[in-house]
Amino acid sequence: MALNYWLYNNLIFSIMTENQDCVQCSTDIYNYYGTKPEGEIQTREAKKAPTQRVEKARQMYFETKSSASVEFPYWYTRRWEEVEGEVPIIRRAEALKAGFGHLTPAILPGELLAMRKANYLRGSYPMPWLSEAFFLAKEDELYKEAQKSGKVSADEVTTMGQGGGNVTKSVGNVISIAGKFGLRKEEMPILIKTAKKWFNKSVDDVGHKYEQLVPDYNTKEEIMRAVICMFDSGYTLPQGREVMNYYYPLQFGIEGIKNICKEKQDQTAGYPDMDRLYFYKAVYIMLEGLQTWIMNYAKEARFMASLEDNQTQKEEYLDIAERLEWLTKNKPRTFHDSLQLVWIFHVAVLNEDAISGLSPGRLGQVLYPFWKQDMDQGILTKECTIELLECMRMKFTELDCFASMGVVGGVLSGNTFNNLCIGGLDKDGDSAANELEMLILESAMSCDTPQPTLSLLYDEKLPEEFLLKGIECTKIGTGYPAWINNRVAMEFLLNNFKKEGMQLEEARAWAIGGCLETSPGSWMPLELNEETYFIPGGSAPATSVGVHFISLPKVLEAVLFDGLDKRTGRRVYPAHGSKLESYEEIWTVFKKYFSITVEVLTLANNIQHDIWGKISPSIINSMLKPDCLEVGKDISHKGCRYNRTFNVEICGGVNLVNSLASIKKNVIDEKKLSLQELKAAIESNFGYLSALETGSYSLIEQVKTKNYMDWLKIHKLCLDAPKYGNDDKYVDNIFKEWQIWFSKMCENYRSLYDKPMYSCQISVSTHAPMGAVTLATPDGRLCGTTFADGSVSAYPGSDKNGPYALFNSATCYNHALSQNSQLNMKIHPSVVKGREGSRKFLEMIKAYLRKGAFHIQFNIVDSRMLKDAQKNPEKYRGLMVRVAGFTQYWVELGKQIQDEVIARTEYEQIG
Amino acid sequence: MIHYDCKYYLNTDVFKGICKRDKSNINADDEACNNFEKAQKCKHCSNFLLYGNDWGTCMSKYEAYPEMNAVTCNDFKQ
Repeated sequence: MALNYWLYNNLIFSIMTENQDCVQCSTDIYNYYGTKPEGEIQTREAKKAPTQRVEKARQMYFETKSSASVEFPYWYTRRWEEVEGEVPIIRRAEALKAGFGHLTPAILPGELLAMRKANYLRGSYPMPWLSEAFFLAKEDELYKEAQKSGKVSADEVTTMGQGGGNVTKSVGNVISIAGKFGLRKEEMPILIKTAKKWFNKSVDDVGHKYEQLVPDYNTKEEIMRAVICMFDSGYTLPQGREVMNYYYPLQFGIEGIKNICKEKQDQTAGYPDMDRLYFYKAVYIMLEGLQTWIMNYAKEARFMASLEDNQTQKEEYLDIAERLEWLTKNKPRTFHDSLQLVWIFHVAVLNEDAISGLSPGRLGQVLYPFWKQDMDQGILTKECTIELLECMRMKFTELDCFASMGVVGGVLSGNTFNNLCIGGLDKDGDSAANELEMLILESAMSCDTPQPTLSLLYDEKLPEEFLLKGIECTKIGTGYPAWINNRVAMEFLLNNFKKEGMQLEEARAWAIGGCLETSPGSWMPLELNEETYFIPGGSAPATSVGVHFISLPKVLEAVLFDGLDKRTGRRVYPAHGSKLESYEEIWTVFKKYFSITVEVLTLANNIQHDIWGKISPSIINSMLKPDCLEVGKDISHKGCRYNRTFNVEICGGVNLVNSLASIKKNVIDEKKLSLQELKAAIESNFGYLSALETGSYSLIEQVKTKNYMDWLKIHKLCLDAPKYGNDDKYVDNIFKEWQIWFSKMCENYRSLYDKPMYSCQISVSTHAPMGAVTLATPDGRLCGTTFADGSVSAYPGSDKNGPYALFNSATCYNHALSQNSQLNMKIHPSVVKGREGSRKFLEMIKAYLRKGAFHIQFNIVDSRMLKDAQKNPEKYRGLMVRVAGFTQYWVELGKQIQDEVIARTEYEQIG
Repeated sequence: MIHYDCKYYLNTDVFKGICKRDKSNINADDEACNNFEKAQKCKHCSNFLLYGNDWGTCMSKYEAYPEMNAVTCNDFKQ
């Protein structure tokens, strides 16, 4: 029998015959709004090029693999054991000092900014003091790989190009760790041995011991097993999703900070609250370690100079050496000095913990005084500035994070989320955009790399020229800047931090931490040439710790199946016993299950973070963050000015809302099917193979089974039910009710720092793995496919009424209730072409933000190019796409996310 | 003698690197050239005592491994 079945926009399933077991269902694999593009694949607008030096560095990066080393953990652990019995924070400082002091320096030819995380270009290392479990669990497997020996040729290495810089398999003398990091085989035995020393002593192990004391802990275990929650917080990424503060090094220099510590030690030794004494001593010790680290690089630079015949390169090495020797003790003299010092402290913090989302914040405003001084004195040009900024981009791009594998792959997609913000307001409420930020945008176009990503803090006071520069950058397909509403963020901050003393003036100092986490800041008085500049910087700890990603569709699945995880058959929640005969009943049980989830995860994660603060407290980041150095308390002792930073993150909100709308419409209001019928259809995946069987993770390109016809009617009802993103009040009201309840309920839970929690709505990459373990959903989504990305993005292909309808749906609630919202749009390059396209594009963004939206970001790309890139990755090493709060190289993304990005609705018109 | 053990070898990743002298791209495990000089590694240190293939001791009291870089170690003795 023949069947033509309309799904979304242009997706029409193929003719199906009853005697076929499986039928591929795709005639057009793209979702479009507007007129479908024809002809050749449309490229993006012409790109600019970096300087020759930077292009060389970029090509080297493309050819470089993610590489792990053991020297930092070896020295850290050796010293840790050596000083057993010391005050814990001093012990930690001594261990960090030993780690930094023994890092092998590596300076590459052509670099203008020196120093890196480890002794490889994309270097990183495991931190077994946070968690050693992976290495112990994999011990046998990794040992076997280490015993294999062999030499690898360049050709063999080149064949590993698929997957970009990921070392996807063990080759020759290199062992692949989790398909991502390469480790020299001779380092594996010592890594295992070092990891064993942390057994029952790491933050993971000790935290686990105590989190089991939480009443109803078993529910937490079941929640994690069912992947209703993506990952624990305290030992995975205990810091990050926050904004750096570079004030103290820029104002005082390293020796100056040490002098502050000495003075503070004198003031606190023997007085009550002695933890302050140990904190100052710990900072002092740690700074000595950083000084050794910097001096080792200076020495290496002089060694490299000694080998150099090329006079220009020789002078550059000597310049690096002189600069590092100066900065070992002193405050920066120039823009170049200040940029180098900022980079040193950025890497230093990254080496302190497993961290993603350590944002440089409003760096163009922080460094502006130095830049202006140099420009006024005629010792710097705009061209040289751009080259330095391009070098900075390469340094940020080389950052890798060695965290647990589920986190690196399933959440981060290999990204590290160093978000640089531009625009916003200054202390007095005027536009903070400056000339240096224009050059930051320029360098982000000429050197289009994933890091640092840019966020433009949009305010009506920003000059049009600045906004159009931002548009120019977005248009070429970098995925940045993301456009963020300054006023909405300030409203959120004032609502949440006023009890800690935040005033309007300080609310203006905010920036994005990580991919999209609104983070409080402060203005600090930088003195230069007898002038005082108030520079912004972060004043809070990690703003995205607590409950990491609750899968809303999975909670709904448990509601429909009486508390069970249908994938595993295990009981997660107590049976509710409700017949779910009304919408209110369903909604009530959902709220109950969701609340159970938040409660038990909050308690368990509070314990993990408490243990982190005891075993592995932050010293470097604490020193940098106002007011830790002033009050003598580290971050875990609430030394920061603002401490209400624990949140509850969710994923799959739009699929939840679409599913609730489908149930309400089809089962409750119109009674077109019973709940039992719907559940049976869900369990049968509407007659399709699951995405895990097909290896395709978006709704398009799925494969029917021979039972497809049995579920067709129900599937059509589910797909035809009202969908979010079309300005349809039926579903938007459900969305609004969810948003208001969610943001309010978070305040019922107390963080480790005894503050109410708040809601956070970003998907990062979790919509892929969390979708993978979730059955089909009542909105018609199939089993194993990804959820909608972001928080207010429409489900791919379901937004049929154009961008302004989507904007109306997205702003049906107050975005300032939450730490963020996230809207990703994919636009065909032809739509924003030329000056007219730029204007139209900017007006569309303004229209959305003026409705009270928090955030919007874009992929300007022809979907056919992405499909081609999936087939021919070797042709697209430099292709970047915006995922959810971050830009990443296409070839370094997992297939789940690739499929999801391809499936997103592509807008062919925005008017 | 391989590049990986040479004083002039600069890693870029676990597979390959650059010769610090002539800036050529080289594989870590390829045979070294005539300019080879021993890198400062634990296995070349008089304070290091090897036992087995993968292990050793440093100054008779710390566990250590032969391939570890010791360019930053104050106790390194040729």
